[in-house]
This record gives sequence, C-alpha cells and structure tokens, in this order.
Amino acid sequence: MINLEFIINTLSLGSLYAMLALGLVIIYGILRLVNFAYGELIMMGGYIMFLLAGFTPLPWLVVAALAVLAAMFTSLFTEMVAFRPVREKSLTAMLITSFAVSTLLQNGALLIISPRARAVNLPQIFQTSVMIAGTSVPWRNILTILTSLVMLTLLTLLLRRTVLGIALRAAADNFTMTRMLGVPANTVISAAFAISGIMAGIVSIFWIARSATVTPAIGAPPLLVAFVATVIGGMRSLTGAVVGGFIYAITISLLGIFLPPDLLEFREAFMFVFVIIILLFRPQGLISSKTSTERVG
Amino acid sequence: MLELKNIHARYGAITALRGVSISVSRGELVALLGVNGAGKSTTLASIAGVLRPWQGDILFEGSSILGKSPEQIARLGISLVPEGRDIFPSLTVEENLRLGAFTRSEKTEYNRNLGEVFELFPVLKERLQQPGGTLSGGEQQQLAIGRALMSRPRLLMLDEPSLGLAPALVDQIFELIAGLHQRGVTILLVEQNVNRTLEIVDRAYLMNTGLIENQGTPQQLRTHADIEGLYMGVGRQAKT
Amino acid sequence: MNLTARLKPLNSPLTLAGGVLLLAVLTELLGISLLTRIITVMFVSLILVLGLQLYMGNSGILSFAHIGFMGIGAYISVLFSMTPTAKELTNSNLYPFLIPLHLPFVPSLLIGALAAAFIAAVVGYPLMRLSDAAAVITTFALLVIIHVVLVHWDRVTNGPRTLFGVDNYTTLWISVLFCVIVILAVYFFKESRIGLRLRATRDDAYAAASIGIDMVMMRWLAFIASAFIAGVGGALWAHFITSFSPYSFYLTETFVILAMLVIGGPYSVSGAVVGTLIVTAAREILRAIENYINILQVFPEGFFGFTEVVLAVVLILILVYRPTGIMGSRELRWPPRRGRIESAETNQSVNHIS
Repeated sequence: MINLEFIINTLSLGSLYAMLALGLVIIYGILRLVNFAYGELIMMGGYIMFLLAGFTPLPWLVVAALAVLAAMFTSLFTEMVAFRPVREKSLTAMLITSFAVSTLLQNGALLIISPRARAVNLPQIFQTSVMIAGTSVPWRNILTILTSLVMLTLLTLLLRRTVLGIALRAAADNFTMTRMLGVPANTVISAAFAISGIMAGIVSIFWIARSATVTPAIGAPPLLVAFVATVIGGMRSLTGAVVGGFIYAITISLLGIFLPPDLLEFREAFMFVFVIIILLFRPQGLISSKTSTERVG
Repeated sequence: MLELKNIHARYGAITALRGVSISVSRGELVALLGVNGAGKSTTLASIAGVLRPWQGDILFEGSSILGKSPEQIARLGISLVPEGRDIFPSLTVEENLRLGAFTRSEKTEYNRNLGEVFELFPVLKERLQQPGGTLSGGEQQQLAIGRALMSRPRLLMLDEPSLGLAPALVDQIFELIAGLHQRGVTILLVEQNVNRTLEIVDRAYLMNTGLIENQGTPQQLRTHADIEGLYMGVGRQAKT
Repeated sequence: MNLTARLKPLNSPLTLAGGVLLLAVLTELLGISLLTRIITVMFVSLILVLGLQLYMGNSGILSFAHIGFMGIGAYISVLFSMTPTAKELTNSNLYPFLIPLHLPFVPSLLIGALAAAFIAAVVGYPLMRLSDAAAVITTFALLVIIHVVLVHWDRVTNGPRTLFGVDNYTTLWISVLFCVIVILAVYFFKESRIGLRLRATRDDAYAAASIGIDMVMMRWLAFIASAFIAGVGGALWAHFITSFSPYSFYLTETFVILAMLVIGGPYSVSGAVVGTLIVTAAREILRAIENYINILQVFPEGFFGFTEVVLAVVLILILVYRPTGIMGSRELRWPPRRGRIESAETNQSVNHIS
C-alpha cells in the first residue's frame, strides 16, 4: 500500500542509501578505488556505539559523535597504512588491498570483541514515533531525512565554496594536473577518505538504529547497497550516487509491497536482476558525467 | 636557471629519452623542436616531476629537483601547461584560475594576478562562471595558460600550445608567448610549428628519438641544421 | 622434431602436474590420515584458485563471484549424486521432482559445473561491458546474491541449515586427477588464441580493440570457463566434506582463494600452485595455534579470526612489496631457469606517478 507511511519510510531509506553511496563515490571519483573496507567503517561506528553506550555514562550525542569520529579515523588510518603504499602500483592491487583490509577489520572485531551479535543501547528517541497526518512515523526516519539533508548541504558547500572542495573536484577530473598546480596529493586523498569516513559514521548511527545490534559482518549489507547504488547512478558523479541511492530504496521498497510473500526474501536477488537489466542498456550508469570514459564494450 | 644533464627516461619498457641535456637561462625563451615521438613532451614531463628519469640530473636554480613530486616542483615556481591543455572540465573558469593560484596564498596578489590574466585574455572574464568543458579549444588554451600564470611561475613550460587551433588563434598564441617573453617570463616551449617558433625564440633544441640533435639560435639553426627535414616530418634514423 | 623439442612448450604444465602428482604419491605413502585430508582439500582449493587465475590472470579483472559459482556447483551436483532416500532425509522440503534424480558421481559433478557455467553465461554477459571498477563491484554483488538465493531457496538447498548425507566420493586420487586436468586446461587456455587475445586487452584495451579483438566476447568466454572450473571445485569439495551450508561459500572463502592467488602471483599458473601450497601450509599452522589458544581458554569469547587477520596482513605486505606475487609472471620449469626474464607484465607494476 503506497501511503504516507510508505513514502516517508522510502524517503528515509533513500536518504540513508544516498549518504552511503556518496561516501563510496567520493573516493572512487579521485582514486578510482572501490573501497571494500567501507562497510567495516560502519562496523567500527557500531562497535564504538556498543562500547560507549553500553559501558560508559556518556550522553548519546557524544557517543554518536565519537562513533562518527571513529569511522573517520579508521578510514584515514587504512588509507595511510594500506592504500597509500600501493597507490602508485596498480588499481587491482588497491582493490585487493581494500578487500584484505575489510577482512582484517572484520576478523579483528571477531577476535577482539566477539563473533556473537552485540546489543547496542539506543537512545529513547529511536524507539518513539510521532503522528503526522494520521500516520505513525518513527522519529528515526525523520531524523535520517533531516540529517541527510544537512550532510548533503554541508558537502555541497564544501565542494563548491572552499579551496579544498575545488581541489577535490579538480582531482576527480584530473589528478595529475591538480598535483602539477601544487596541490599535495596526500592532502586531497586524506580529505576524501575523511569525508568518506564521516559519511559512513553517520550512516552507521541510523543503520544500527534499525536493528539495535552489531556483528562483525554488519558491514556487508550496506556495502552491497553502496555498490549497487553507485553502479546504477554512474560511478563518476556525486549526483549519480544520490540518485542511485534513492532508486535502490524505491525499488526495494516497491518490491517489498508487490512481491508475493514467499518471494519476499529474494528481494535483493530481484533487485540485482533489475540492476543487470539497467546495465545491459546503460553500462555507464544512469547519470553519466561529461568526462566519463569508462565504457568499454 | 634550469639545467638538464644527460637525462634518460622511459615509459615502462620503452625508452623515451636517451641522454638529453638542455639549459634555460633566466628570461630566455627556449624551444624544443622535433617530430612526434622525439621526446619533447617526455622532457617536460620529467622536469615537472610527472616522470622520474632513471639516469641524469635536473637542476633548477642550482639545486637538484630530480625525484621531487609534481606538487613540490610546482611550489618551486615551475608551471607546466600540458599538451591537450588539461583544464578541469567540470570546474568553472574562475575555479580553474583559483586553483592555478594554489601556491600563492596572498589575497591581494590573487586579485592582481587575476586582473592581469583578464587583461591578456578578456574572453575568460566573459566566461568566468562557465564550466571549463564548455569552452572552445582556443578558449581552453587561453584558460590553461592563464591558469599557469596565476601562480606567477619562475619557469613556464608550454607543450604544443598551438596544437589543434585555427590559424588566427595560432597567431594570437604566438604573439602572446612573445609578449610574455618581453615581460621577462622565462619560457620553455615545445612546438611542432617550426617556422613560427623560430621567429620568437632566443634559442632552440632539435630533438629526435630521445636525443638532442642540434641546438642554437634561430639564425644558426636556419643555416646549419636540416630545418626542411623537420618541416617535412622526415625523421632521421636513430643513432645507436 | 624430436621428442624433447615437442615436449618443450609443455614443460611448465607438465612440471606443475608432475609436482602435484609427486605430492599425492608422497602423501599416500606417508599414510597419515590428517595429512591426506589436508592435501586432498588443498588440491580442491587449487582447482578453485586455478579457475580464478584463468579469469583474473588473463583479463586483469578481479572477480568476486567465483566462490558463488563454487556453491552452485556444490548444491546442484549433490542434487544428482545423492540417493533419493538421503535427499529426503536431509531436506524434507525438497521439491518432489528433484527427489528421484540419481546419477553417478562424475555426471553429477559435470552437471553441477555446467549449471555454474550456465549462470555465469547468462548473468555475466552484461557485466563484461562494464568498466573495470563497475565490473568488480558487480561480481561482488553477484556473490552476495548467489548467497542470498542459496540461503533462502530452501526447497532446493535446505536453506541456511546444513545439508548432510553427501557421499564421500572425493578421495585423494580423485582430487589429484581433476587437479591435473585443470592445471593443463588452464595452462592451455592461457596459451590459446583466446587467452592471448584476452591478455592483449589486459595490457592495453584500446590497442587490442584496434586490431579487432572483441574484448567483451573474450572476457565472457573466460568468465564462463572460470565458473565451470569453480563448479567442478565446488562439487569435489561437497563430496569431500559431505555436509555443508551456504555459509561455506561466502566472504571468508573468497578471501582465502584470492589470497592464495595473489600471494602466489595472479599472472601465471605456477603462481596459483605455489600460492595455494604456501597459504595452505600457513593456514594449518595458524589454525593449530588458534586451537591451542582456544584450549587454553585465555580469551573468554574464544580465539577466532586469528588466521584470517594474519593472512590479511601478509596479503597487504605482498601487495606493497611484491605486487606481482611470488612467481611474478614466471612459470615454473624443469630444470629451473637461471636468469630472470623480465616480462612486460612485471614491468607493468613499475609505473610512474600518474
């Protein structure tokens, strides 16, 4: 049933997925690197929330902020330790390294904390709802939409009004030329990873809010969403990431309504078929940026 | 000011420079001439730090810059306008220029440089907020040079600035280069348009298959070197 | 041509096959059942790594879907190899038309492999036209989707529960036999016209296109062949382990197989062999350490994931310090070559800054 509740939920999901995809594309745009460890940044945020909310008296806003910071620092750390040394070698090497880092972080969490799922103490607001036009809307969804609006605005301001932002966009156009103008490569790349980490951290808050648990493997589902949304949207543009995120959310929500009950659990599989069909006709994704040279077939 | 000593460089398994030595003094306008594949662009790339030579040395104002990163070399005041212009298509003209001034942090200086660039290239002022990708070839070339000038380079390197431009624009570009030279900018120019180049430069080097075959003033080159061969694009056999 | 000259081009694959057979003989002679188990599994892993090498080494594109095809091979093959009684026993929810199916081991295995190849053919075609990064991402998505289907389609797979009662057809010699066949097949693919053309596209896509190489078609064929081999590996593994669940065909296995290939060297068949040997040995040692620490009960929650962490660190180190793997792009020969011949592939990693 497509009613107000459905619309708000889908908008909320779309906002979440849009932020998710943005964090991935911002690195891809500059480095052509698909960061497989991106999902684990969400895992890190989740575990910090679990540890701080469960074992310290810190107020929840502080916990959330620290979770975002944790994701950001993990992102920066992996860039320095695992990607920077291989950056000059080859793209494939970077891809494999990022997958290795993903495995490392996941199993690290397994080793250090536990293979079992852990419950995260969420603030009261994530459990409550508010009445809007006759329907009960979870606060969680409203907050997701609002947060993503704020983040998108901040990101746009950063990219358009600051020198760093201009440098980031230039690097996505032509990294070498940007360096030849004196812009330090490491600064640009670290900035991209930091932004990516912040996005992941924020997503982790709302992602965990839905299930209230964290496991070492919690990074895989959002990673899949980010991947698919980016491929649908076209990997080279930030607008594409946002569009892709919303399309993913809308499609999967519609599938949830229209699929017969025994096929519901195959939602992702149907989503994937849908993506394959899109790719058959538009391998470059739905939003192609002016400088796309990616298509090969 | 700039000195290359016996530079050997390669791309993967292909040797591009086989012992190149050139020098450029302050205020000079020097050209590297030669057919396609002679190694001219490779030479500029080596100076700019994009390519690291495996033998030889590059000195800038007396100190070695071999092995420095492109950003370090830019901060020393060496600016390269690459072949194909390499302006940022998704950035506006203004943003392109702003990034050109990256190595200069002073605000008043930025405005002054911007004013000078607008004087040289009025069309850039007209198209200030347009994305670089929407500019014509000639306009992009002007943007590329304007962007390089924003940093007040000590050494300006231009790689085939007249490539692909209409004849009227080619005139404009060469006049511009000559004008910059008169203002005292040190320029290293790579070109295939031999005739026009020899009209404006102080000295030139003739390159062929990774080596310097000849050098001298335009006068000397016209009388002693096989300029016609260069015109016709007839490359000599590689000396082994 | 005399015999030696004719055999020369076959030197590498024969050396590898010979080495593998030698190892099997030694294992048989030693007669330690634990060792036999480890070596049998190693040969099956090698088959999987070789399948990945066929695609990745020649096309230069990473495929994360490989283990997914292993799973398809496993599940489809057991549908045919298990007796109707055994099937009903393990999965009460099985589709009725699947129950009476019963074939000998080798046909079942082949059907499983063909199923994997078929899925690869159908789903893979649109993927081949994608840019490298999008292609990699989509193969990852494919892995996840195959996993989702295996977990939820319990009328075929018994869902997330363990499927048990598979006959133990995979002995040491069966696995070695298939392993040798796959070594030869992968080597000959590499040196075949398809393989050569594919490697041309890997080194320079535009140049290859300009001489008329159909990159999409070449990649597609390699993808299918690679999936077939993965299916073979999956079927063999299923009939060794005799009980499994969809969780055996997911990220950890993908990581291990990838590590074996990359550490050994993804550009040569010998790399696959060497990498599998080394990583298998390392894993057994690390696993032993892990078990020991678990017995000591030093960590309250159990000591898990240590093996993977170490393996991941080693993989990163290899990529930083020796990205073309231990073998580079060289193939093992007998007698071992003295001087090093730098091929264009090893030079590839010596990039300049841009």
